[in-house]
Amino acid sequence: MFLEIEHLTMQFGGLVAVKDVSMRVQQGEIHGLIGPNGSGKTTIFNVISGYYKPTGGTITYNGKAIAGLPAYQITALGFARTFQNLRLFSSMTVLNNVLVGMGHHAKTGIIQELINPVAVQREEKVFTDKALQLLRLLEVEEFARERATSLPYGSQRRVEIARALATDPKIVLLDEPAAGLNETETERLREILLKIRDAGVTIFLVEHDMKLVMGICDVVSVLDYGKKIAEGDTKTISADPVVIEAYLGKEETL
Amino acid sequence: MKNRSSIIKAALLIIGFIVLMTFPLVAPNRYVVHIVNMAGLYILLSLGLNLAMGYCGQINLALGAFWGVGAYTAALLNTRLGVPIWVNLPLGMVLAGIVGALIALPMLKVRSHYLALVTIGLAETINIIIVNETWLTEGPLGISGIKMPNLFGIAIDGDERFYYLVLVCVVIGFLAARQIVSHRIGRSFVAIRDDLVAAKAMGVNTAYYQILANAIAGVYCGAAGVLYAHMNTYISPDIFEFKSALYVLTMTMVGGMGSLAGSLVGGLGLPITQEVLRGIGNWELVGYGIAIMLVVLFFPGGVIGVTRRLQESGGIRLPWAHKAAKPLPMEGPHVP
Repeated sequence: MFLEIEHLTMQFGGLVAVKDVSMRVQQGEIHGLIGPNGSGKTTIFNVISGYYKPTGGTITYNGKAIAGLPAYQITALGFARTFQNLRLFSSMTVLNNVLVGMGHHAKTGIIQELINPVAVQREEKVFTDKALQLLRLLEVEEFARERATSLPYGSQRRVEIARALATDPKIVLLDEPAAGLNETETERLREILLKIRDAGVTIFLVEHDMKLVMGICDVVSVLDYGKKIAEGDTKTISADPVVIEAYLGKEETL
Repeated sequence: MKNRSSIIKAALLIIGFIVLMTFPLVAPNRYVVHIVNMAGLYILLSLGLNLAMGYCGQINLALGAFWGVGAYTAALLNTRLGVPIWVNLPLGMVLAGIVGALIALPMLKVRSHYLALVTIGLAETINIIIVNETWLTEGPLGISGIKMPNLFGIAIDGDERFYYLVLVCVVIGFLAARQIVSHRIGRSFVAIRDDLVAAKAMGVNTAYYQILANAIAGVYCGAAGVLYAHMNTYISPDIFEFKSALYVLTMTMVGGMGSLAGSLVGGLGLPITQEVLRGIGNWELVGYGIAIMLVVLFFPGGVIGVTRRLQESGGIRLPWAHKAAKPLPMEGPHVP
């Protein structure tokens, strides 16, 4: 019992983006979520992370219903995410981007900020050290003081992962982390993902790069037109005729 | 090299300190001191606006209303109950801060230029209340006979003495603002301005910080209002009209939105501009409009933005500038 999605439905007006999807993500696994474009993968992420209130179904995390909670509370429960189209804070340095992710652990508030600057300074130092450690893990420490959006694309992707990890999550939702990366960068990403998993963080991964997905996922769920059409380990999935049909289309018999 | 720059920095600080401390003694006349005092109040208003708008992206044009709340709190308590400025100041700040927080509630529902509309509407409402509730506010006649303060038996009467009170408030206000923006709260503000969705995903309680930013703007403007009432000894509703917010907005943009130093530049520049433009009457509003357009088109980040860019391109290097201590780099207000 970790993350359970039961009969999740998300409807926007007449469009049903996600239809009666159920799945379980187990603690410590890398769970892949694949499917053709527009099949509802990102919508599921958006519902889990609190941007949409689902029109049907439930999401429970360790037994607690989380669907419909405000996003920051969901983050506080141990969820973190990255975005398909990078969403780094464009006017901040790399380090500050990561520090934003740490903010919700802070003990000091506006009052301490004004009457006890020493405590704030101390906390700031702890956070900065931790942030630099994360940047080192993601191999982007050298850019710490650069403006985040001035970095090469691949590095920005890694900064976003570092920022997500900064919230100290139990589970990270990664939305196409390999998009736009070349083969070497994807290989480095693969190693980083395994490191994150080994550090005890569950990974929920939306990805189009099949080599990456089939290489690291423990379980893969497949969506098509908002419905779950298959689920299983990578071997079963890659041989599943339904999945192949969803991706490649049905063979025409002449 | 670093040693040299720190010596220059210390020298500049000492010179600045001496200039600030002796200014009323060497000023040519009382009117100049009065203008500088007004500049101090404008700096406070501009700091408030800058924290909310420059850092947090909350376009807030209700400044005049916050300012009015502070001023009327002080005026009423002082003329009716004889409450001194030392009580009025914290009280006015708290009240204006509460008004700021309340105004922030409907602001949570809208974005970008709709924020401007909401805040203009709320500011007008407060102004109309001030004009019409004559039993409380004396309406358009205004309130006169506010006492200047007295500190341990020393009367702070006249602009020269009041100057020091304004100076202390501006210094405290500036340092507090710097403290706020350079740590977690400031980062949360900028995160909200840069990308609201990502800020939420990073665990930032965005609603709380949006309310906080507007409350802080209220506190700064409230302080300026209390000081204004006790300095001028007379207040009337016209000073707290929307026009005042527009002046402060313009000058903050000219100085540098998203940079506290920009508020210093803008706050100092405003009364000077007002004096220069006095001759052209209502046409001055056109001047401010043109200034906003020019800044937005050609100098995003204002004066401070321009110097910063020159610095980064290596054009000029200010002697006290060193790269590591640079605050969050900002480029003007950016509303997603």
